[in-house]
Amino acid sequence: MPLDYPIHQHTLANGLGVVVSPDTSVPVVTVNLWVNVGSRHESPGRTGLAHLFEHLMFQGSRHVASGEHFSRLMAEGGRLNATTWFDRTNYFETVPKGAYELALWMEADRHGHLLDAVTQENLDNQRDVVKEERRQRYDNVPYGNALIEVYAAAFPADHPYHHPTIGSMDDLEAASLEDVHAFFRRFYGPDNTVLTLVGDLTPEEGFAAAERYFGHVPATGQEQRPRLAQLDPIPKPVRVDRPGDVPNDRLHIAFRLPVDNTDEFFAASLALDALAGLGTSRLTQRLVRREQVANAVQGHALGLVDGVSLGFVVVDVADGEDPDVLEAAVVEELERFAAEGPTEVEMESAMAQSERSWLHALASQEERADLISQHVLLHDDPQFVNTFLDRLRAVRPEQVRVAAARWLRPDHRAVVAHLARREQDAA
Amino acid sequence: MSAADGPGAEGFQTERSDVPPPEVERPEVQPPEQWAFPEPSRHRLANGVELLAYDVPGQYVVSVRTVLPVPLSVEPREVEGVATIMSRLLDEGTDQHTAEEFAELLERKGIALGASVSDGGLAVDLDVPKARLEEALDLLRQVLAEPVFPQQEVDRHLRTRLAEIEQERAVGAHRAAWELIATLFDDGDRASRPTGGTSTSVAAITREHLVDFHRQHVGPRGMTVVVAGDLQGLDTLGAVERTVGTWRNDAQVDEPAPRAATPAADAARVVVVDRPGAVQSDLVVGCPGPDRRAEGGWPAYPVLSFVVGGSPNARIDAVLREEKGYSYGIRSGFRPRRVGGLFLTSGSVRADSTVDAVRLLLEILDGAREGFTDQEVRAGVDFLGKTAPGRFATADTLADEAAMLALDGLGTQFTTDMLTAMRDLTPQDLQTAYRRWVDGRWTVVVVGDAASCADGLRELGIGAVTVVPT
Repeated sequence: MPLDYPIHQHTLANGLGVVVSPDTSVPVVTVNLWVNVGSRHESPGRTGLAHLFEHLMFQGSRHVASGEHFSRLMAEGGRLNATTWFDRTNYFETVPKGAYELALWMEADRHGHLLDAVTQENLDNQRDVVKEERRQRYDNVPYGNALIEVYAAAFPADHPYHHPTIGSMDDLEAASLEDVHAFFRRFYGPDNTVLTLVGDLTPEEGFAAAERYFGHVPATGQEQRPRLAQLDPIPKPVRVDRPGDVPNDRLHIAFRLPVDNTDEFFAASLALDALAGLGTSRLTQRLVRREQVANAVQGHALGLVDGVSLGFVVVDVADGEDPDVLEAAVVEELERFAAEGPTEVEMESAMAQSERSWLHALASQEERADLISQHVLLHDDPQFVNTFLDRLRAVRPEQVRVAAARWLRPDHRAVVAHLARREQDAA
Repeated sequence: MSAADGPGAEGFQTERSDVPPPEVERPEVQPPEQWAFPEPSRHRLANGVELLAYDVPGQYVVSVRTVLPVPLSVEPREVEGVATIMSRLLDEGTDQHTAEEFAELLERKGIALGASVSDGGLAVDLDVPKARLEEALDLLRQVLAEPVFPQQEVDRHLRTRLAEIEQERAVGAHRAAWELIATLFDDGDRASRPTGGTSTSVAAITREHLVDFHRQHVGPRGMTVVVAGDLQGLDTLGAVERTVGTWRNDAQVDEPAPRAATPAADAARVVVVDRPGAVQSDLVVGCPGPDRRAEGGWPAYPVLSFVVGGSPNARIDAVLREEKGYSYGIRSGFRPRRVGGLFLTSGSVRADSTVDAVRLLLEILDGAREGFTDQEVRAGVDFLGKTAPGRFATADTLADEAAMLALDGLGTQFTTDMLTAMRDLTPQDLQTAYRRWVDGRWTVVVVGDAASCADGLRELGIGAVTVVPT
């Protein structure tokens, strides 16, 4: 049975896609904007720019003072932030109903007129902040760079997903005011943005407010490049060893996957659930519970749009166990799964857990708004929140097997091995 | 930038003559209506369990939270962590099902189940689509009442916890938290050691310890069960009575009254956990703080947390992040325990800024004793009050709040009363509340490169500096 969250859609003359989804359960409104720019749009030598730019969006715009976006909206009862990812940048706030027009006014000011307020001082300060973000999240934590190494190993050097959203320290250092100006003009504008309003308002109110506050914002007038063609699986196994100061060995075993929002991607993600994602996954049962050679196993599928997605399995190797032996066990289970496909119980379990986590995500107005923006901006699919579970349920076990046989074979893996330095290595 | 420049500074840029006026005037904000935490229906079951049921239409995943106050001090000293390990084994085999069977049952029904232990006691949580609530509650009953602690699973979880301790040692923020409690609290106090135990105490735990702990301390008496979600058409009370309501444990002991942790006599000092070559330093600064029953009232403390270190524009980040660029963000907060509490400030800073960051941080924290502006008070009160309807809109957030308060022996009326009382807070109230706990004596922990910062920290004159290994 499809879900029935109300979806009302309208496009302004300047190209801004607007979705309103009324929900009167609480007197608040979520304002959620997705801009079609992420680290996949960055050019060589300028990695990290999309994210650094997102920080500058909080440093003031034509009629808003530096820091005011946070301070004013928080004082009105707003919870807000922004994030940057490979495919996009999002800006969002949930505010009491009486403050949503102020939120829209402030968003329009920065999405339309940011550059009036960008200064060298702001750029230098936020560059320092972002470098500390990189150190805190990646460089100064054990295994912190593992996913960055996975992206580099799984995707070709000239592919937009080869480098991480956080960027390199050298590139962050090199970012100039001119880069920031050019980036804004190229990517920020209503014709490259989707606005979703979820909460205690009618479609008429939402569309009128969108027109009032965003109607005057000029379009970028830029053609955005078409998406890249689907990549094939990794042609032959890739291995990256990272001996280091980590408490125990950990393997990231990664695969290219089909692009997001396709039946084949859903099938591959169900295969990863059965192999490594579920609490009862094959690899958890074998390596964690029965053989007790791993502390933990996880499996994830990251849906992306530019010609490829990413799937990976993480194996946290138990003390004293040989990571090569564990990897061989993973290889064996991948081969077996590609040959046999999922069991009925695995399909039932993966479906039941997907259903709970999807309903749980939609239970929050903020997440619902974010998912609507995502699927309108990247897939032109405003009904996705309502139809996803039915589409997932329609995937047959044989499709899951076929997807695993095409994408999750051992020959197509990239392994990043973080290996604890042993006492004897120290000499 | 002084703290008073933050909130309320809007509009000054429009005075600049070179800026065109906005196309649309900045809209006025309509004030929200007063909000109160939803009222639950309350039932006392025959076995002593207190049920709080919150019907939240449209929330199709039902959140169930069970909490049982058990002071950590009842753990025998030599096997500390036994409560945590016990909680992790609750679903690893029951009278009716092996560990693998049980895991499969949870997965097939779409149930997420988790158990944890804090200084206040045991919490077992589950989330499940509405249609499977009663089946989930029966599995919850089995987990609470009939765990069998198979030796193989015990061995596995002990090994996993030992590996986890090494992971925590390797993560700066975790390592800093260990050192903070070890320095701030007296050695004889349970609060000075990690909730999940140390490598020595965990290694000493046997299956018998777990069985005994479960039998003596886990029972229906004193337990609160919170059920929140779209309960339309469900017989929630009946479902809980038929499942968790049938649980008996005649061996459950009466728990001692919780008491405040004793601070160490030499708590006001600096400890550097040495990480040669670290590119950042993890900082924690702490002192004792109030609990929710604090003299003078609790409502000032969430506001103080917000104003001092609760946002990018709070006093700390206004300087350390937005002015200096030393950090991605540093947060402060009053952390209530069942009795007594902590005031903690934590974050990480660029390695070569460590000494200056600590100096500035203490200057800001001590400087706050001089008082707060009316704008700061209003911004904090408005943020906490006006965000409440949205913060507690989902079944899980509502259930979490109700469960956290139940573990503290309080109801959710506490939240409503707190938000009401906050509205009348004055700058003088905040200053009085802050000074009640903050007297300039700090425990400071730095996890970072000692060679480059220890001498500088000594020169700050903020207390004796000790360097310890990772």
